[in-house]
Order: sequence, then structure tokens, then C-alpha cells
Amino acid sequence: MKLTSSRISQLVFLAAFLVLFVTTDYRGQDDISVAVNSFFRANPLVLVSFLLATGTFTWVLLPGLLMFVFSIILGRFFCGWICPLGTILDLVTGKIRKTAPLAWLTGNFKYYLLGTLLFAALFRMNLVGLLDPIALLIRALTFFFYPLVGYAFRQGWVGLYGLLGDNRDYLAGGYGFLKNYLLPFRETFYPLAFLSLLLFTAILFLERYERRNWCKNLCPLGSLLGLLGHFSIFKRLPSRLCSDCGDCKEHCPTAFDSEILQKSNCIRCLDCYAKCRFKRVSFRPAMPKKPGHAFSPARRVILTSLASGFLLPRLFAFRLPSTQSSLLRPPGVSGDDDFLKKCVRCGECMKVCPRNALYPSSLQAGLYSLFTPMVIPRLGYCEYNCHLCGQVCPTGAIPNLPLEEKKKAIIGLAVFDKNHCLPYAKRLNCMVCEEHCPIPEKAIRFETVEETDYSGKKVVLKKPYIEEKLCTGCGICEYVCPVEEKAAVEVFAHTPRKR
Amino acid sequence: MKRRDFLKMCGSSLLAGNWLVKDLWAKEPSVVAVSEGKDYAQITKSVIDALGGIKRFVKAGDIVVVKPNMGWDRKPEFAATTHPLVMRAIAEECLKAGAKRVKVFDNPCNDPRRSYENSGIPAALKGMDNVEVKQMEEERYKKTKLNGVVLKEWELYTEALSANVFISVPIAKHHSLTGLTLACKNIMGIMGGNRGYIHREIEDALADVNSAVKSHLIIIDATRILTNHGPTGGSLRDVKVLNKLIASTDMVAADAYATGLFGLKPAEIAITATAHKRGLGEIDLSKVKVVKA
Repeated sequence: MKLTSSRISQLVFLAAFLVLFVTTDYRGQDDISVAVNSFFRANPLVLVSFLLATGTFTWVLLPGLLMFVFSIILGRFFCGWICPLGTILDLVTGKIRKTAPLAWLTGNFKYYLLGTLLFAALFRMNLVGLLDPIALLIRALTFFFYPLVGYAFRQGWVGLYGLLGDNRDYLAGGYGFLKNYLLPFRETFYPLAFLSLLLFTAILFLERYERRNWCKNLCPLGSLLGLLGHFSIFKRLPSRLCSDCGDCKEHCPTAFDSEILQKSNCIRCLDCYAKCRFKRVSFRPAMPKKPGHAFSPARRVILTSLASGFLLPRLFAFRLPSTQSSLLRPPGVSGDDDFLKKCVRCGECMKVCPRNALYPSSLQAGLYSLFTPMVIPRLGYCEYNCHLCGQVCPTGAIPNLPLEEKKKAIIGLAVFDKNHCLPYAKRLNCMVCEEHCPIPEKAIRFETVEETDYSGKKVVLKKPYIEEKLCTGCGICEYVCPVEEKAAVEVFAHTPRKR
Repeated sequence: MKRRDFLKMCGSSLLAGNWLVKDLWAKEPSVVAVSEGKDYAQITKSVIDALGGIKRFVKAGDIVVVKPNMGWDRKPEFAATTHPLVMRAIAEECLKAGAKRVKVFDNPCNDPRRSYENSGIPAALKGMDNVEVKQMEEERYKKTKLNGVVLKEWELYTEALSANVFISVPIAKHHSLTGLTLACKNIMGIMGGNRGYIHREIEDALADVNSAVKSHLIIIDATRILTNHGPTGGSLRDVKVLNKLIASTDMVAADAYATGLFGLKPAEIAITATAHKRGLGEIDLSKVKVVKA
């Protein structure tokens, strides 16, 4: 593999991506300065869908606007120089034997896909995160690969304890280093790990048919950048294969399906430039011409996308009322509708959550909320002094609240189940929930009552109740409730009744 | 032992202090040492010295566990966790006595990383040779026979069980279920499993664990105490600065004395009363010798 400038850039960005991914975690600081959300903030697809869905602009997406402008000037360079998923494909594609390209994938399919997603966003249903390449990659890492790596190391470390006992301490320094800088603090298994892996491996599988198959024929971000790149003032010359050589067809990963270079697929990797035996290739400023035949997301595509963008998301719209009350969103999220318009389903909030309170929802709010974060208090609660999820959220779907505001942000409301709660159900003292309640004035309080227990003995019982004005629904009470069958205190989401 | 050695030993023990010799007879009263001052390193040292000095507890080559309360994600000023300067001074004393290794850990209720970090204890002990502040590891808990009144067995932390010396350093604070949380309850930090379970019979459960795992030295941190909304606190309104430390080898006596700081009577705290009934120490302060350091 020759190290061209684009390849070096790809590797640097991939390394940066992985480093940022690992640092998207609690490492002793309440604030995260840089996180992997940088890749989303510079993502024009996220920007465009956000604008369409919410009708507002947010400054956190300014880098995306810059990338938008740069892509108009330079073309689709993001795909050839930055995109970590593209880099991974470039790194593995040499090992995958190719058959013929899939006919049904070529053509305008990707524009129908992009158009559908964008029109759906315009009709207030933002599904872009499902297929955004960066989101897809982070989900595969967060939900599958990273926990697996953590689990493997952890099991190895536990195994060593079985072998060496306390002598394992001699190795503790090395493991501690890994634990502090590389591995997850605890190994959490996520729902939808399988689906995340499946989407990722499907993209790898597509490499069987042609190089950068996903990038060329499906990726909605790539398609959008291709549309912008079509207006690039830099033109690649010659604009077609030379009659005496034609090697570019071999060198070019994306844009030489036919004799003529497809500008919207040119990822500016400059491989053709570097490899040309005759030094004929150049990229020069030139006024863009009227769209040629290779570029034809014409009226039909737009109209079809408009229709499918309007209709298809309705397939995702069904919600079961009984699951709504368990749909607890991260702190600071005010309404589910607004949240879903902004969430890119990248999984960063779930990656960063120190108590592993957040999990991707599968069907709780219907298909529409697939992969969006929800709190499952029995598995993890929202840590009172932590406000990391709002900091790493690339779009502000989870607002970046100052700590003092986050402490008051309402996630839900805790409710006692007196059929299970020990002082009520079994006349035993407990109060574990009250003990853990982090609100300085305590949102769980109690009455002291003298009663006779079931054996006839007089007991002084402390019976807990919720002070509703103070409860934020952080979920620690549900998390620590020692009742084994089910938590005797549970957090419910506020679900407004329409009638 | 030669006669000369025996005489030497008797002589040196006599020199070490009058009450120390008395302590050799089992019937002698429990001693509670109390120190007060704004220099927390100094009062830590003096409270230990008042009990006969650290060498009475820690011998050269010993592995010492110093178990603070760093169970909550709170900064030291909120009085939910043991003061880091007290911890540092204890660790220094142990090293001076020749401890091979000083281990500091707790099983926190909040996120372990945040609780450790914000307690300020890891930072205070950073850079000290042979002192470690490590996260507790699941595989090091071992089902241990207790044969107690309510707990027949429970998962306890092996590093706490195998240490030569166990020093318990709780902070004195309010607790709604138990009234106060002091030394008897500090032992919960070496318990694994579903700890909330023991709340239903916490007095006897704690006595069961404390009977099985001896705390050789108790130093109760009352440099500041949490008077309400414990054990989590979170508001400075509930914090009272006392600049005091209480030390003893008798956890019931230490707890009984600390209870007075809250204006309560020792017998009002069921955990202390039960611990006394179970033979873990003296609750009646009139039978305890209080030494001001």
C-alpha cells in the first residue's frame, strides 16, 4: 500500500476518530473538552437534516456548515480524506475478492434514499441517523466491539486471578494502565448490539461486489457530498479515460464506472494523479458545466422522494402507549418529538454515561426511536453530579446543561409499588432508596409509624413516600431497591394524555 | 525467652506508658482518644499517639487496610466522605511504623470512579510509595462463613480479610434508617452482593460482620459532621465543622462517644446498642476512659 497524502490523512483521521472514541468517557473530569462528536458537528448530512426537521440552526453545527462550503469548493474530499468508515473499507477491501457490481444498486438508488431521508426530515421525522456512516460506525463500536474488547480483557484478568491469586498484583500496573486509558470501566452489554454489528458487516459484505460499494451507491452522507461536489470549481482533467491507457479505471476507487469520470463520485483521493504514468492528470479550477447525464437526480427522483419521504416514515410512527411510560429520555430532554428530530442515534451519550444508565431503545417508542437513548434505571441510574451526555451530544438533542441546571432536569417521576415495598408489603424496615436519594433535601421522605408486624411484634416502621416537587427521576432508587423480584420503586416518564 | 529478654520487655512496656500495661489485662476499661484542632494531619497523629502510637497496631512488614468512607460522589466539604488529609496522615503513620503496603478502598454507592475522585482521597495519597488506592474488583469478593444471627454467609472482600491490620476510618454522619452511620456501619464497605438486603435487620447484620472481621483501630472523622439528610447530604447547611477526631480499639465505645457530638444518647442508635449486646464493645461512656490528645 503506497502512502499517498490522502492515505496519510485517512489514517490520521481514523486514529483521531478512535482516540476520540475512547476518550468519550468519564476520566476523572466533569467536563469533556474534545469528544468524538466533532465528527458529527462537521457532518453536513446531520446539519441539513437538523435544519429541515427543526427549522432552526444551532451553532454547535457550525463546523458542518463549513464542511458544506468546503465540499462545494473542493468536492467530495471528505470521503477520500477523512471518513473513518471509508478508511476502514479501503483497508480491508484488498482482502475481499470481487464479483461483478450489483446492477440494482447503481444508478439513482442512493438519491432516492437520500431524498427520502431528507424529505422525511422536512416532514418532521428525522431518520438520518439510522444510515449516517459515522453514526453507524460508532454504534457498531459502542454497542458491540468496545464492550467485547473490555469483556475479553476483563475475563483474561479474572482468569489470571484464578491462576495467580494475589500474585496477580505484580501485573496490576500494566492492567491499570489499560483500564485507565483504553478499556471501558465496566463491560456493558447493549440491546441491538446484533443489529449494529449486522449493519456494519453488511457494509463490509458489499465490498464483495465492488470497491467502496457503500460509499458509491448507498451512503446518504456521501451522496449529499457528491451533490455538493458536483459544483466543485476543481475539475479533474482529463475528464475521461485516455484511449491509450485507461489505467484510471483500475486506480480509481469510485468514479470511473464508465469512460467518463463521474464527478459526484470522485472522492478526491488523487490516486489517479499519483499513479499516472504520463503525468497527465491534474485538478484545476474550472467553471462547472451544466449537469451531464451521470448526474441526474432529476424531477422524478425528487417527486418520488417527496412521496416516499412523506409516506414511509408513517410506517415507523406506531407507538404502544404501555411502553411510553418507560421511555425515559436523558436529562434535559424536554419533549420526545423535539428530541427525535435532533437525535442522530450515534450512541455517544450511551458510551459516555458513567453509570451505564442509557441504552438504545429498540421498540419502546415504535420503530421511529430505534437506537435512540433511554434510561433503564434498573440497570443504571443518572449520576447526580454528572452532565456528560449533554456535552457529547453532537446536535444538542440532549441539551448541554450547566451542572446546577442538570441536577434539576426532570427525567421522570419515581412511584412506589406498595405491593412490593418492604415497609408496606412485609412490615420490614428498608429505606435503601431514601438513603441513596441524591437530592440534598431528599425527594424520598418517610413517615414513622408504629405497627404490629405479622409475627405480632410491635415495630417502628419508616414508610417512604415521594416528594414529587423534588424528584427528578434520576432512577437511583429503582437501581438500588433491594427487592429481588422487581423494583418496588420505579421511574415513569411523563406521558401527556391527549384526551 | 531468656530471663534477660523477659526483663527487658517488661521494662520497655512500663516505659511505654502506664495505661498501656493495664491494657494487657482484659478487664481494663476501653479507651477513647479525642483530639481537636484545625491541622488535620497533626490531630490525626496525636489521636493515634494518645492510644499508644501507631506501632502498637502496625508492625514492620504488615499489610494494612485503611478503610475510609468514600462511598458517595461528593466533595470533602459536604461531609459525606472521610477527609483526605486524615487519610494521608494515617497512611504516613503506617509507613513510618514499617508497613509493607497500605491499601485504601471502599465499595461506593455512587459511581466508583466519581466517588473515589471527588472524595479527594486518591489525590491526597498520590505519589506515596507503597500506598495504593484501588477500585475493588468483583473477583476478589469471597463468600465467607459468618454464622451470625441473621447472616450465615456473605461476600466479603478478601484483601480486607487477609490484611494484618484493618483500620476503619468512617466519617460521623446522619442516616435516616439507623440514626447515625459510624464505625459499626463502615464495615459495609467490604461487603459485596445485594447490600441493601441487610437493611431489614441491619443492627444484627452489621454485628455479624463486625464479629467476623475485626477492626483493629477505629478513627472516626468528625472534622466535620453531617447533621441531617445523610448519608448523602449535599448541602453545606447540614454540615457542622467540629475539627475533631475520635480513636479507639473499641468500635462501640468510639461510636458511643461520637453519638454525643450529635446531641444523641448512644443507646438511641440501635446499631450501637446491638453491637454492645453482642459483645463488640462498651456502650456506657461512664465505663470508658476518655483521653484528650
